[in-house]
Amino acid sequence: MRPVIHTENLTKFYGKQRGVLDLDILVESGEVFGFLGPNGAGKTTTIRVLLDFIRPTRGRAVIFGLDAQEQSTEIRRRIGYLPGELELYEKLSGAELLRYFANLRGGVDWSYVEELAERFDCDLAKHIRSLSRGNKQKIGLIQAFMNKPELLILDEPTSGLDPLMQHEFAHLIGEVKSEGRAVFVSSHIMPEVEHICDHVGIIREGQLVAIEDIETLKGRAIRRLEIHFSSSVPPEPFANLPGVQDVLVADGILRCTVKGSLDAVIKAAAQFEVVNIISQEPSLEEIFLAYYGGGDHAA
Amino acid sequence: MLRNTFLRTLRDQRKSLFWWAFGMVGTSLYLALFYPVIRDNMANYEKILQSMPESVKSIFMANSQASLATADGYINIELFSMVAPILFLVFAIGVGSAAVAGEEEKGTLDLLLANPLSRWRIVVEKFGAMVVGTVGLGFLFWLTLFVGGKAVGMDANFARVAEATVSVVLLALAQGSIALAVGSAFGKRGVATGMASGLAFAFYLLNALAPMVKALKPYRKLSLWYYYIGNDPVMKGLKLSHVGVLVGVILVLLAVALVAFDRRDLSV
Repeated sequence: MRPVIHTENLTKFYGKQRGVLDLDILVESGEVFGFLGPNGAGKTTTIRVLLDFIRPTRGRAVIFGLDAQEQSTEIRRRIGYLPGELELYEKLSGAELLRYFANLRGGVDWSYVEELAERFDCDLAKHIRSLSRGNKQKIGLIQAFMNKPELLILDEPTSGLDPLMQHEFAHLIGEVKSEGRAVFVSSHIMPEVEHICDHVGIIREGQLVAIEDIETLKGRAIRRLEIHFSSSVPPEPFANLPGVQDVLVADGILRCTVKGSLDAVIKAAAQFEVVNIISQEPSLEEIFLAYYGGGDHAA
Repeated sequence: MLRNTFLRTLRDQRKSLFWWAFGMVGTSLYLALFYPVIRDNMANYEKILQSMPESVKSIFMANSQASLATADGYINIELFSMVAPILFLVFAIGVGSAAVAGEEEKGTLDLLLANPLSRWRIVVEKFGAMVVGTVGLGFLFWLTLFVGGKAVGMDANFARVAEATVSVVLLALAQGSIALAVGSAFGKRGVATGMASGLAFAFYLLNALAPMVKALKPYRKLSLWYYYIGNDPVMKGLKLSHVGVLVGVILVLLAVALVAFDRRDLSV
């Protein structure tokens, strides 16, 4: 494993307004790094520094051992990028846009472009202005992947993709990873990326609050659980279960929040007739809550 | 046409370029074909012209000593004192302000710069597209005048007309470069268009009024317009020092655009 992205005290202010503060991030080859945080936390700011679209106020970013500002052109030769707010050349067709970018990169393997288009079920002959948001996103993804970059920087890549395409996307990320290439992917929706990431960094209000192994993070996650029974049940069996909190039993419905494994509560419920189980994936905010153990950080 | 940013920019402009060419050709063809009417009623027009106050002549005829009595004078007054510069300026300022700021505002600059291109290269290619477009329109403009003029037996010095066309193209490129530089520095297309157009108008007025207004007289040479028409290119041809000033201004503005764009943060 070689370091691919390395930031040291990376800080960006817009005037007096906070962008990001003292970020130390390390992403290694063959790793998928999820960069998670609510909108406005500084994800895009960080990415734009990595691409040298904006310059850090302090600190620096090093990519492939090269300085992100001084040697940006060489770095960009080896990365693929998908912007969060994707804008394509409306006057071109998908194929024309990809040809243009391929030319700017000194050529790419066009059969791979065609393979990607097929996998994403994307009609490259159509004019971009006639495409839906989801289809534009596919063109954006193809241009990011087409030069088989050593590092992919993807800002909210799954937005606008239907579930089938999200699956294909996850598959593609798996291939990239198996080839030892690295991925830096941002999202504000944890479930959209958690299954593809090895590590996640969580950013809030410009600061990195945690870098965690994805399994550890999920283990700490709080889940809202609702179990519907065929008739009313007593509350006692659900009191004092490990990791189970906020227990509320009424009208044959158990509502609670569970930290970590669901095993204890499911086994307790099994002695009654269960009609339905509703489990909500923890949102990013809920993961934050789990981290801080209180409401004081729930912005 | 998608080999690089220079060609892609021209490709993007092809419809717009077609209509501009259509308009330029139409304007010069109309002026050429209208010439016999003027020529055959020369005495009347000349009388009207002579009766105009000096100040009006100065503003609308760029202080030229030309008269409608000759084909050269006709071209000078009808085309180069107002119509041609306005057409070329509007075109070049539009293209110049769109060059960098247009892509930045549309949001396509992000994806373009994700490719291994330096920022200066994008500015240079966009500048190149502006030069090629303006020069191309200039050539068409002159060619139409030449062919149309010959068709109606216009007895003009078309070599001098070519020199005047070069002069107006250079003025337009200088003003377009102002728009390019402002757009590269601030990323705002409206600001670029506004500043370049405002300056163009100020330069025009300064050059036109300076001969009459004593207080302005020493400042006439600050006007780019002076270097365009001060030497009366239709009558006397290009003056090397004036061409040099315009070319120099263009190059300095290009350098400003390169440095300013390279140093700043791009807007989202």
